[in-house]
Amino acid sequence: MYGKGILKGLSVTWKRFWDTYTEDISWMLSGKKRYYTEEGIKHRASKHTKGIFTVQYPEEQLIQPEEFRYVPFLVYDEGAEGKKEVRCTSCGICAKVCPPQCIWIVRSNDPNTGRPIPEPTEFYIDADVCMNCGFCAEYCPFDAIIMDHDFDIASYTRNVYGMDKLLKPASYYKNIRPENYERNDAERKAKEAARAAKAAAKPAAPAS
Amino acid sequence: MNTDRIVVNMGPHHPSTHGVFRAALTLDGETIVGLKPVVGYLHRNHDKIGERNTFLQNMPYTDRLDYFNSMSNNLGYAITVEKLMNIPVAERAEYIRVIMAELSRVQNHLVFIGMLLNDLGAMYTPALYAFEERELILDIFEAVSGARMMCNYLRFGGVVRDIPPYVMQKIKDLVTDRLPAKTDEMERLLSENEVFVSRLKGVRVVDAETAIKYSVTGPVLRAAGVPYDLRRADPYSIYDRFDFDVAVRQNGDMMDNYLIRLDEIRQSLRILEQAVKQIPDGPINSQKPAYQVRVPAGEAYGRIESPKGELAFYVVSNGKPNPWRYHVRPASFVNITCLEQMCIGTKIADFVALLGMLDIVMGELDR
Ligand code: SF4
Ligand code: SF4
Repeated sequence: MYGKGILKGLSVTWKRFWDTYTEDISWMLSGKKRYYTEEGIKHRASKHTKGIFTVQYPEEQLIQPEEFRYVPFLVYDEGAEGKKEVRCTSCGICAKVCPPQCIWIVRSNDPNTGRPIPEPTEFYIDADVCMNCGFCAEYCPFDAIIMDHDFDIASYTRNVYGMDKLLKPASYYKNIRPENYERNDAERKAKEAARAAKAAAKPAAPAS
Repeated sequence: MNTDRIVVNMGPHHPSTHGVFRAALTLDGETIVGLKPVVGYLHRNHDKIGERNTFLQNMPYTDRLDYFNSMSNNLGYAITVEKLMNIPVAERAEYIRVIMAELSRVQNHLVFIGMLLNDLGAMYTPALYAFEERELILDIFEAVSGARMMCNYLRFGGVVRDIPPYVMQKIKDLVTDRLPAKTDEMERLLSENEVFVSRLKGVRVVDAETAIKYSVTGPVLRAAGVPYDLRRADPYSIYDRFDFDVAVRQNGDMMDNYLIRLDEIRQSLRILEQAVKQIPDGPINSQKPAYQVRVPAGEAYGRIESPKGELAFYVVSNGKPNPWRYHVRPASFVNITCLEQMCIGTKIADFVALLGMLDIVMGELDR
């Protein structure tokens, strides 16, 4: 019969249409909210989702997985009296590994001795050039540069970020990437403990 | 009647030319008598940039070739450089690579079907159905690699990070429950639709002989009856361990080109099912993470069966941190050489669909 295939196809669209409403109604009847709740968004990104499962951006936003990466930021630890202890040592590895070469670092020198000190005076990332590849964060030996989650950065000007915009506290890092933070933290602590143990062993050596 | 031929420029901003592609068509009435593909609007010097970059830095650039399938592009480049470096790949990473490459193929073919219908005039419904499933697959890519499309996930010797358990569960769910059902649903929606079938059936795309002559690869070649699939013809990675068939159709018409995509999705799901079952535990990279890889002098040619055809990389190293020569053999670019042969003698109304059949993507074609 001519038209059978069309009807078959229409049954699929019809089912889809129907599913959308039955989903909404069943969520409503069970007293849960399908929209504007984390549970609802999660369900709409799972294998069980049926009907239309659009997420109503910007009112709703998909839940970012931890590894989501956007233009990187620099981490500082909060020292005593709110002092910003920048983790970056201006080693320059990130600038070297960056494929589009969008990181500029100005190293600092001690004004008295003229010797380099391990902290950048200036640090720029051209966010318009950055391809969000994540290499800088991956290869930084000090976990000083981390990929951000903050992706909606519309602006009227070029986005060349300096230190003022790039520096974010370690607590922010912990907030957006808890698992990575824990892992890094454990590694750093282990390293520090090893260094302390070494330092403790050294002066003991001549005494023995 | 005495008539003049006219030249019609389709593109570069034609909504159905899949990006900035222009075709200068010579028409006799409604029949195409000549065609000149004009490419290069999206040219961005990929090969030359690749020679400036270090070996590792090229990895994110390969994402931007065929931006639907960055995972397969990564795989092609990674196996080429690994050949050159002569290093093994961690066992678990091999499985992860196959899982990602096949998921990529599934979503590519789904989008192909959706966009084909878009080209044929069935605006949006099938395309959006396809995009819904793609969205779920991209969620997986995002969770493992950090980005939905520009994954940059593979490293020489393995992958950059492991698949978290909840993502593994999601892959299993999709592969065993959802995607097979959705593929069937796609089939129900379209395969018997009389309007669709009458539009596709019997419209020749390319015959086997011409396809081989023009080095056409991928689903277009297999739909013409040539069972040539690099996963079987020249097995790379660990494809020789899986049980699957090379999808092949005989007629080489538009209908077969459409159906073969569904077949390939099903075969990919078969591979995926085995891969998620067999995947072993263990390290995900055989090398230490290093931003400066040492690649000994020499040359290597690595090729994979990307969803669009044969994707190959040719890399020459002279021991320096960056390749001395880096060349990409993209499937789209080689396939499009056949476009004129495909179109001559057909009606202009079919042109957009024929172009859609080749499944070109300009990021890869123009590089
Ligand atoms: S961010 Fe990390 S890699 Fe970059 S200069 Fe600072 S310490 Fe070095
Ligand atoms: S994410 Fe990539 S492109 Fe962006 S600054 Fe880091 S290394 Fe450079």
